[in-house]
This record gives sequence, C-alpha cells and structure tokens, in this order.
Amino acid sequence: MRRALLAITGLAAGTTALVVLKGAPGSGQTLPDAPLPLAPVAPGGSAAPEPPSPTAAASGSATPSSRASAKPTPKASADRSPASQGGTRTSTAPAAPRTTTSAPKVTTRTVTGPSVTYEYGSLQVRITLSGSRVVDATAIGLPLGGQSGQRSDDVQARYSGTSGEVVARQSANLSTVSGATYTSTAYKQSLQAALDKA
Amino acid sequence: MTYQETRAAGRRTGHSAPYGGRPAAPVPPARPRRGPGARRALAALFWLGLVAAVVPWWLDTPAGSLTDTADLLTAGGRITGLIAGYLLLVQVLMMSRLGVLERALGGERISRLHRDLGATLLVAVLTHMSLLVVGYSRQERNSVLAEVGVLLTDYEDMITAFAAAGVLVTVAVTAVGAVRSRLPYELWHLLHAASYLTLLLGYAHQFSNGAQLHQPGLVRTGWIAGYVLVVAALVWGRVLAPLAFNLRHRLRVADVVAESQDTVSVYLTGQRLNQIDLLGGQFFRWRFLNPGCWWQSHPFSVSAAGNDRWLRITVKVVGGYTAELRDLTPGTRVWAQGPSGTFTAAHRTRERTLLIAGGSGIAPLRAMLEELPPGAALIYRASTPADVLLHQELDWLAQARQTSVWYVVGRRDDPGPRQVMNPEGLRRLVPDLTRRDVYLCGPGGLVDEAVAALRAAGVPRRQIHLTAFEL
Repeated sequence: MRRALLAITGLAAGTTALVVLKGAPGSGQTLPDAPLPLAPVAPGGSAAPEPPSPTAAASGSATPSSRASAKPTPKASADRSPASQGGTRTSTAPAAPRTTTSAPKVTTRTVTGPSVTYEYGSLQVRITLSGSRVVDATAIGLPLGGQSGQRSDDVQARYSGTSGEVVARQSANLSTVSGATYTSTAYKQSLQAALDKA
Repeated sequence: MTYQETRAAGRRTGHSAPYGGRPAAPVPPARPRRGPGARRALAALFWLGLVAAVVPWWLDTPAGSLTDTADLLTAGGRITGLIAGYLLLVQVLMMSRLGVLERALGGERISRLHRDLGATLLVAVLTHMSLLVVGYSRQERNSVLAEVGVLLTDYEDMITAFAAAGVLVTVAVTAVGAVRSRLPYELWHLLHAASYLTLLLGYAHQFSNGAQLHQPGLVRTGWIAGYVLVVAALVWGRVLAPLAFNLRHRLRVADVVAESQDTVSVYLTGQRLNQIDLLGGQFFRWRFLNPGCWWQSHPFSVSAAGNDRWLRITVKVVGGYTAELRDLTPGTRVWAQGPSGTFTAAHRTRERTLLIAGGSGIAPLRAMLEELPPGAALIYRASTPADVLLHQELDWLAQARQTSVWYVVGRRDDPGPRQVMNPEGLRRLVPDLTRRDVYLCGPGGLVDEAVAALRAAGVPRRQIHLTAFEL
C-alpha cells in the first residue's frame, strides 16, 4: 500500500510538474524551431504546410498553435463529408490569415459580412468568390490572445481557408467547433450575411 | 524449543507414497544463478514506456501555451489520460502469465505490483476524467454536469469510455481487502476478470478523442501497436503457452496422500517431465479437470524439486476447493500453467541460506532444500506437532545435505516460539544470519513477525525472499 501511495504521489507530482514546465510563461518566446514564414498574403495562405510547432510570428504574442490545442471534434468522422474532413487535416496550420489583407485576384471579388459581437469580442467574415462560388473565407477582427485567441484559432482552422469547411460546404451550415460555440455561431452569422449579400 | 518428537507429523494414512517421498536425484546438478538482471531490465522498460507515453503530449504542446486555468486543467487531464492508458496496458500485461514475466518477476511480486499499480491506475483515470470535464466545462462556460452531458452525447465513443471507468471503479472497490474478503473467491474472480472490459470499452475513445492519438502518425501507430502486443502476450501467455505445455506433458493425478489430518499431497505424473524447467520453490497454477474443480485454477507450489517421474503439491485443506482435492481420483487430467516464481535457490544473492516455514508453507521450501548447497538452515514453525508436515523427508534431507532443521512447535505465545522469533533468538540459532539469504513462506502473521525480527537482526532487505502464501 505504501508503494501505491508513493506511485499516486508521483503521478500527481509528475503531472503537475509537466503542466507547470509547459505552462511557464516566457518560455513561449524561446521556442527555437520553425518560426513561421512571414504571414502569407495570398488568399491561399491558410493552407500553408504545417510547421512542427508554430508560433504566430506576425502577431508577436505567444499564440498557441491550433494543432496542440485542437480539442477533439465531436462526431468528427460521423457527420462530415470526406472532402471537408480532408480540409480539417490540412488546415491545422496556425491561423495566419487573421492578419491577412486578402489581395483578390482579378476574376474574384470579396464580400465582407457585418461585424458580429459575441462573448469574447467581435468578428467579421470575409469571403472570396469566383463567380458565385466561394473559394476562400477568413474571419477578421477576432480576439488574439489567451483562451479566446485559441478559440479563434480553432474556428479559423476549421472554417477558413481555401480548403476549409466554408469552401467545402458553400454555405453557412457548418458544424460547430467544440469548445468554441460562441465563436462558431458568430462566424456563421457573419458568414450567412456575407453570403446573402454576395 | 527444538522439537524432537517428530513421529506425530508422520501420520500418513495406510500406504506410503507410491513414488517415494524422496528426492529423485541425491546429487542435484548445480543450477545457474538467476540474478536480478531480468527484473531490472523489465523495470527500465516500464519507465521507458511511461516516458514514451507522455512525450507526445510534451512535443505537441508549445511552451507557454497554457495560459488560463481551463488550459492547465485540460493539459493535466491529457497527461493523466496518457498515463492511465499506458498503465492499463501494463496492468493487463502483468496478468498475461507470460513466461518471461512470471520467471523474472515472480507471481508474488507481480500480484503486489498489480495491486499497487491498480490503485494508481484508478486515481489516474478518475483524475483524467475530472480534470477534462472541469477543463472543458470552463472552456465552454458550461456547468460541469452539462459538460458531462455534452461529452456523452456529442463526442464519439464517450459512452463506452464512461462505462469503462465504471467497470474500473467496480473492480477497484471489490479489490479492496475488506470488500474482497466478504465476497466468495469465485464471484470476486469473475468481477475482477471484468476489468478486461475496460481494455475493450476504453479503447475507442482514446483514438476518436485523444488529442495526441487522433491524428494518424507515429504516436497513434505506436499506441495501437502497444495494444496489439498486449493482446498477443495475453493470448500467448494464457492460451497458447499453456496449451503447448499441457499437450506436451499431459499431467494426470497419480495419487492423493494424506500428510496430516488436514493436509494432502497430490502426486502427478505425465510425459517428458524431465523437460520442465522447474526450480524448487516455483509454483504452477493448477486446474484439476473433474466436475468439481475444472472451472477454477489455483496456484500451488510444488513440494519436491523437479524430477523426471512425478510432481507433487502439498495443500492444506482450508476451503471448499481444497476439500475437493482430497477426493481427486487417480487418472484425473490436470491442466497446469507455469512454472513461475522467483522464490528459488537460483535467485539467492549469498551462498548460504536460512529457510523459515510456517505450517503448510513448508512445501516450496522443502522443494528448494534439494537445490540448495549444503549448510542451509531451516526453521519450521508449527502450532501443534500434527501440523509438522513432510518431517521424514526433511530429516532425510537434513542428513543428506548437512542442513540444520529446527522444529519450533507451539502457539505464538508459548515460550519456545517466543524465544526463537526475535532478533536474538534467530541470531542464536543462526549466528551468520546477516550473511545468508532468508526465504520465508507461511501465514501472514508469522511472515510479518519473522521479517521484522530479521530486519532488526540486520538482514538486508534484498536478502529476504517472500512467496505469497495465497496468491
């Protein structure tokens, strides 16, 4: 029994130590590897290859990568088409397009939805259309730091980009990102308005 | 103090043992020592595996990314989840009866580790659940109960995962000594075997929801490989290896001999017995294939060293099952699993030894005596003269192998036992106590008392060998 108590104590201490070591503020900036290439400017930027441990260099703050914090998505495989599933895979890159001012191509046009205010801030969805087809989407004005920023990342990673869910579905009928319900709802609201406008 | 009248212990019914209660080979071959090397290698492997289980989380999580409480809770939940997943595999692996484990760690140590690790596993699983539920609920600004609802309804495979946790809690509660002793052994065993369900029920949610295991890649593959290996070990250790052993040796009951009023020896014969890699002091798990006994298997030490003609177990009748053993008919087929255990002469660290037996705990020590070098000492505690078992063989062995045997007979508080069972008493009987390996087998109270006395007399812990009286 003494050994069991020892093991349980070790478990608690080890877990705490790991969390504290990782969570230590300041160590975020010293991450040596793979600084993100300067924020991509092209609309296709969000499909950038995944760096192993990306930090959003553009914003300068230690924004957590969406990959690490991606909460498992409920019913992920159950109710999404294979195409959009592929989308989630590739869009695990950090949400660089946040800072993107999209430069529309000659044949495309952009429509920006209304600014929707929600629990953690406000956002606006900007979609790029080629003809009547949505080819890119991104949210702008999302909160950046902390937990809200993480939610923003999650939502951006799922919905935005040339291979995100918006492009896959061509509608605002998106599955809610778990752990980021408010952000998802606001996104969908703004997106719907943008689609209506387009 | 020294028991002279050993005639009482020789009370056998009618006939003597047909295969002779004497060791087969008067001059035993010197067995190579089996040191702690294998054990240490396994321990290193365990720690390596534990690190490997947590490393994916460490690599996946950028430093400084855990900013608020919900993050910290979730991270803790993930770590404990990975640890729990790993511990579950280790728990099952330890129960796989894999020959390597059984002979490197021994049944006694395995069951102790299994118990301690089991408690740790339970705590890890409960921590994993509560941290994640609270962490997610904070992230989503839900109440804890609502979050449980969300987990159960919106997440894949979470219903089975919660069921797995429920099974685990049930198993853990019934494994607590007080509860366990109130349940019939058979029911308890059945309940405990339900823990295999956790392996099955908890499997899916790790991959559908595990942050580190969700994505295909090295980690996921490695984790699945762990499962495959454990299941393979289980099939090998529980099914294939015993099947091969029993097909090869085809053991049958040859005779049942009463050793005392409430103790019987069961002699077994079979084929190619000389090829069994059996050391004195090891045990098999026996399943006697007759209508009363076939459905349960029990561990009993062999009470004579390996020889090419027979095996023998000596069992005290304490319950329904052991009472059935008295009525075994010769010719009954026996399904055996083993041999296992590290309670052998080969595992000693010093040349000389002291054996301390209590009651029917003499069985493994009697077998070991044949393989020990001359100069061993045996202290045999029994509460009445009738409880002294196998005394003729012991006397014979004592003579043939220059072993000193002391029969210490009487109740615990009688003057004889009181004089011996303390540091001074032991030192008086065996002056070079601290330079010997000590092997103990007997009822828990006696063993605890003796270990305390030995430790007080200055015997290092690693020189004290215990075997479980009842596994």
